[in-house]
Amino acid sequence: MNPKNNIIVGIIIALLFVTSYNIGANPIEFVKGLPNLAIVAEEMTQVEPKLFGTAFLSMFETIQMAFIGTIVGVAISLPLSMFAARNLNSKYVYAPVRAILAAIRTFPSILWAILFVIMVGLGPFAGVLAIIMYTIGFVAKLQYEVIETIDSDPMDAVSSIGVSKWQLIRYVVLPESAPHLLSQMLYMFDYNVRQTSILGLVGAGGIGFYIINYIKFFEYGKAAVFMLVVLVTVLIIDWASVKIRDKYIIKSQHGMKISVK
Amino acid sequence: MTRPSSFSLISTKKIIQMNNVYTSYDSKNYALKGISISIDRGTNYAIVGQSGSGKSTLLKLMNGMMIPSKGTIKIDYQTPNMKNKQFKLMMHKIGYIPQSLGLIKNITVLENILIGALPRLGKIQSLLKMFPEEEVIEAKKILKQVGLEGKENRKAYMLSGGEKRRVAIARAFMQKPTILLADEIVSELDHITAREIMALIASAQKTMNLTAIMVHHDIQLALEYANRVAVIKDGEKILEIGVEGDKIVDFQTGNLTTEEIMEMYSNESKK
Repeated sequence: MNPKNNIIVGIIIALLFVTSYNIGANPIEFVKGLPNLAIVAEEMTQVEPKLFGTAFLSMFETIQMAFIGTIVGVAISLPLSMFAARNLNSKYVYAPVRAILAAIRTFPSILWAILFVIMVGLGPFAGVLAIIMYTIGFVAKLQYEVIETIDSDPMDAVSSIGVSKWQLIRYVVLPESAPHLLSQMLYMFDYNVRQTSILGLVGAGGIGFYIINYIKFFEYGKAAVFMLVVLVTVLIIDWASVKIRDKYIIKSQHGMKISVK
Repeated sequence: MTRPSSFSLISTKKIIQMNNVYTSYDSKNYALKGISISIDRGTNYAIVGQSGSGKSTLLKLMNGMMIPSKGTIKIDYQTPNMKNKQFKLMMHKIGYIPQSLGLIKNITVLENILIGALPRLGKIQSLLKMFPEEEVIEAKKILKQVGLEGKENRKAYMLSGGEKRRVAIARAFMQKPTILLADEIVSELDHITAREIMALIASAQKTMNLTAIMVHHDIQLALEYANRVAVIKDGEKILEIGVEGDKIVDFQTGNLTTEEIMEMYSNESKK
């Protein structure tokens, strides 16, 4: 390691101490707090099996919310990403679209949920709308970044045939970026299931509603049932997305059929 | 400069005319320095030169992807430029195969070939990927012509180097072109495959009445298949020869044997 690196590491460590002091992050407090955690953990082991039925039903609601949110969100973000890509548009098109997307990303999903609860009232629909907004903000950004890194050779070769811009998008941009899009959809669904679980916090439906309420009333055993169901669901989704990824993204070798009019 | 009167390979109709063309990457260095080339309809024209000689630039000037900083180019009396509406309308008549081929990896061979038909398709048809049946039949005919029968549903990334080149050629043929521009299409291939592909283009060139302009770095290969060979070095045309069977005609020094040309070429490129 050269002296310059040593100085940089030194600065980072010094900053760590200063910032920790400023926000009151104290490792000793953490260690003192461990017995409290033990109490919560102990209470959590006293699960109430009666509640599993309710837990599964509310989990199912959560998954449905995440599903609608992901699909609609991706469907809206796809055209937006085409307008936001620098290699497909002039500055006057992509700059405003990017600004809108950045504005959408500024709010975390929980803030969107509050906004939609005010708009459409309590319940899962407000949660779905919040997830759609969050998905648009992120998938559109990830997708326009993918579009901008598409190999320019096929783009040049096909545009030199004299095709229109829409044909270029349909026949080069979409197929070249499709595996990434599928990958992002899977990631987003996974993420949306997890974040839908906390939207209940503000009354926007889903399993989080139960978790937050049981925790509020110190009924950790009951909350644990719901958290367990979330954990199992996330593991299952994780396993399934690995399978889908293997089949369609990594080993995508099956030919598509051309439709003949 | 006297041309032998027996030299009558080609018709008089000029399809490509480049006049004293300069291109520059920056204000001081020119990639091409005053190139003049005129190509008759139906010629199999080869451009030979080493890497960095400016030969790929020549092709990009012909399909409007680059514009010259000085000089004029006319392709069928039109100036190649993406902003020229008249030229845009005739772009589908120019089949361009870049050195990287520019295939779309994740779609099938047949779909890659059908891309050549896109300029003939309507908006809705192309959006829904609804290719008229006659286009699909045409694509399958071309598939057979280039020797890719039975591979129409393979994804492009699964093909070998030779097969990928055949797909790129088929996509260009699907355009029903009058001009074919190919950039080092057989370099990096073994001798047998390279000659198969050259023969494929040569025979199609005759039946489709194509004007083929192909860039090579191997002069031997160029002499075997072309009617005309131009040698480019450091952005200048140092030699232009006509080929008819065994006879080679240099426009400056009269009749020459293949050996003499080869020797001239190797001496020139050593300079």
